[in-house]
Amino acid sequence: MLFFRSEEHIERWCGTWRLDKGAVIPLAQGWELARAWYTEDRREPSWRRRTLEETEAVFAQLGFTTEFWNLR
Amino acid sequence: MTDDETRWHVYDVTMREGAPPLKARLAELLGVSEADAVASLQRLAAGRMLVLQPGADEILMAGPFSAVPTPFRVTLEAFSCYGNCIWDALGIAATLQADAGIDTSCADCGVATRIGVHSGAVVGDDRGNGFMHFALPPRMWWQDIVFT
Repeated sequence: MLFFRSEEHIERWCGTWRLDKGAVIPLAQGWELARAWYTEDRREPSWRRRTLEETEAVFAQLGFTTEFWNLR
Repeated sequence: MTDDETRWHVYDVTMREGAPPLKARLAELLGVSEADAVASLQRLAAGRMLVLQPGADEILMAGPFSAVPTPFRVTLEAFSCYGNCIWDALGIAATLQADAGIDTSCADCGVATRIGVHSGAVVGDDRGNGFMHFALPPRMWWQDIVFT
């Protein structure tokens, strides 16, 4: 995931690399995603990767409900 | 030694120093042979808890931390380190619950910027103006996690 100064720059970058435009998230929302994703201490013995359902719940909580975020 | 113990040592070093340990140091911390430490790292990588360097048995990613320099340098009070991507750079501040400065640049035009995290919020010149771009949908992230 890369950082861009504007959506226009994302579109230009995608054109340069001949890639489809993916999902664009404002930085402030990206921070909320980071906080939701990385809250747990990975040293804890109980830590494990999220299940598909738990990951879906994180995305839903942040409003990521488009087909792009569909895990199935 | 269990894989949980390996993960504990990997993250204990990483969260205190900013980068994961090399396999030789990890073996010493675990009190096992280097081969056994590598076998444990490989199992953790197979479980997608870590990413190893291609062609080597050293850690590349202990998410959100990178073992190698990237365009996402994170400066904290205790140390500087690297995130694997812009999301992970923010994730370092999140997982350590610390203020941070992230030095990066626009992937298109190359203009440098510093993104700050202070008291649990994003601050700085690009507040509200910068964007993260996810090129691949999440169901495809692990097909090529380094590109992702």
